[in-house]
Amino acid sequence: MAIFDVIGPIMIGPSSSHTAGASKIGYMASLVYGKHFDSVEIKLYNSFASTGRGHGTDRAIVAGLLGMKMDDERIPYAFEIAKQKNLKYYFRKSYKPDHHPNEVRFVFNRGTEDSFLVRGISIGAGKAQITQVQEDRVEFGGDHAVLLLNYGDVPGMIGFIGDILGKYKINVAYMQSARNALQMSAMAILKLDELCPSTAVEDLKNNPDMHQVISIRKLNNEY
Amino acid sequence: MSTNIIPSRIRIRSTRDIRHYLHTYPFKDLVDFFIEYEAKNRIMEKEDVVKRMDKALQVMKESVLKGKEHKNRTPSGLIDGGSKRVKQYTEKEHPDLLGKDFDNVIVNSLAVGELNACMGRIVATPTAGASGVLPGAFLTISEKFNISEECQVNALFVGGGIGELIRINASLSGAQHGCQAEIGSASAITAATIVSLFELSLDKIENAAAMALSNLLGLVCDPVAGLVEFPCVNRNVTGSINAVACAQMALAGIKCPIPFDEVVGAMKQIGDDLPASLKETSRGGLAITATGKKISKEMTDGDPRDPA
Ligand code: SF4
Repeated sequence: MAIFDVIGPIMIGPSSSHTAGASKIGYMASLVYGKHFDSVEIKLYNSFASTGRGHGTDRAIVAGLLGMKMDDERIPYAFEIAKQKNLKYYFRKSYKPDHHPNEVRFVFNRGTEDSFLVRGISIGAGKAQITQVQEDRVEFGGDHAVLLLNYGDVPGMIGFIGDILGKYKINVAYMQSARNALQMSAMAILKLDELCPSTAVEDLKNNPDMHQVISIRKLNNEY
Repeated sequence: MSTNIIPSRIRIRSTRDIRHYLHTYPFKDLVDFFIEYEAKNRIMEKEDVVKRMDKALQVMKESVLKGKEHKNRTPSGLIDGGSKRVKQYTEKEHPDLLGKDFDNVIVNSLAVGELNACMGRIVATPTAGASGVLPGAFLTISEKFNISEECQVNALFVGGGIGELIRINASLSGAQHGCQAEIGSASAITAATIVSLFELSLDKIENAAAMALSNLLGLVCDPVAGLVEFPCVNRNVTGSINAVACAQMALAGIKCPIPFDEVVGAMKQIGDDLPASLKETSRGGLAITATGKKISKEMTDGDPRDPA
């Protein structure tokens, strides 16, 4: 945070939390899903649900899903563009005080694959965070590249992950791991200075106990 | 003690810190200091920092032009081409109260505020809701005095640096400290920016910002229907005009009896004391007047637009 948070960001109005932050959630959610999808259900919570329409929150989210950044002048036309690209989306609303005031839940669908859940929140000043990926509670906002791992709850996985990071000389800014006893699985979230190289991602995926590897680049100085 | 080396970390919490840095290290001037500050904090090259501010200036200019072109009508009807109306009226009809320069401040400030409400592209200074304040006053004056773009970019670093002190010690968010933190801060930033176009004196810059902010202390955030439309857009004009007046007073040597840092402290204290109903929740003030409630009902009922 510094002067460009005072003079900036450059964005499409009217609201940094309800428009700019909303587009960023959509943008990050599509990076997390990482592939083409047939349809997506978008659930808006609380303030996003009640004042979202007047703030273009719905359009901004769809724009973000289409890869537009918060300063993209096509945001107001996101619905029309989505139609051209044959992107199907459905909005739902939910009012639940135990959820963040500016929260969105995405459920991505693709062919016969299982649906995929991503949740995000807008935290003000055009900043956003992803808070859930599938079953896993996470917290990241685009300041770092992210590696999200989900694996079988067996001994030696952290060592295995560490070996690969060492092999590719990947510097870790932050790491957290947790076990999901119910699912017999565990997850780790790693925040990195640079995007994890695709060869390292392949190595991670080659371990039979690794269920899922999601690698996301950082958004950094993008508006 | 002076040294020849710029420190590798720069942290500021007060105008006193800024004075200390300027006194101790070989910064050329206030502009150089803030560029260095931004470069160090973002881990960016100084020239890239300047380029990025230039981009902000270009978008700001564009937002004034587009805001004057655009119809500026929102679905709620709360915004309906006000900028154009003022322009046409003052050009053709009577009375034109204070002449062209004053009209331009109103027209340009409204243009950007309205463009923002209509999903146009703006620079959030410091927020989207207050984005008309700076361009309305500062760009209008820069144009009147034919000020080079380089000097305009420099001035934006000074204004942004002053805003940085508000951000660090209080906040720039209506949800946290009410509208004083948005329109009030924007007005202080603008007053500082304008003074620095003419005199790079930290004393005068500080006085301008202190007066501008103290004039708007206590301003609550009570947007009708939760939309960044009314009273937001009109308040941008208030912020712009207040900034011009305070810049003029400070340039003339009027001092604010309470120093800037303490005014910021007062704003934080007032903001903390404000009830939640007056901090962007639309549960108080203008938002819950009989008419405010009626508009709110019309605007927030019904489902979000599903695919057509
Ligand atoms: S009333 Fe609230 S939303 Fe409107 S400009 Fe002021 S702080 Fe922003």
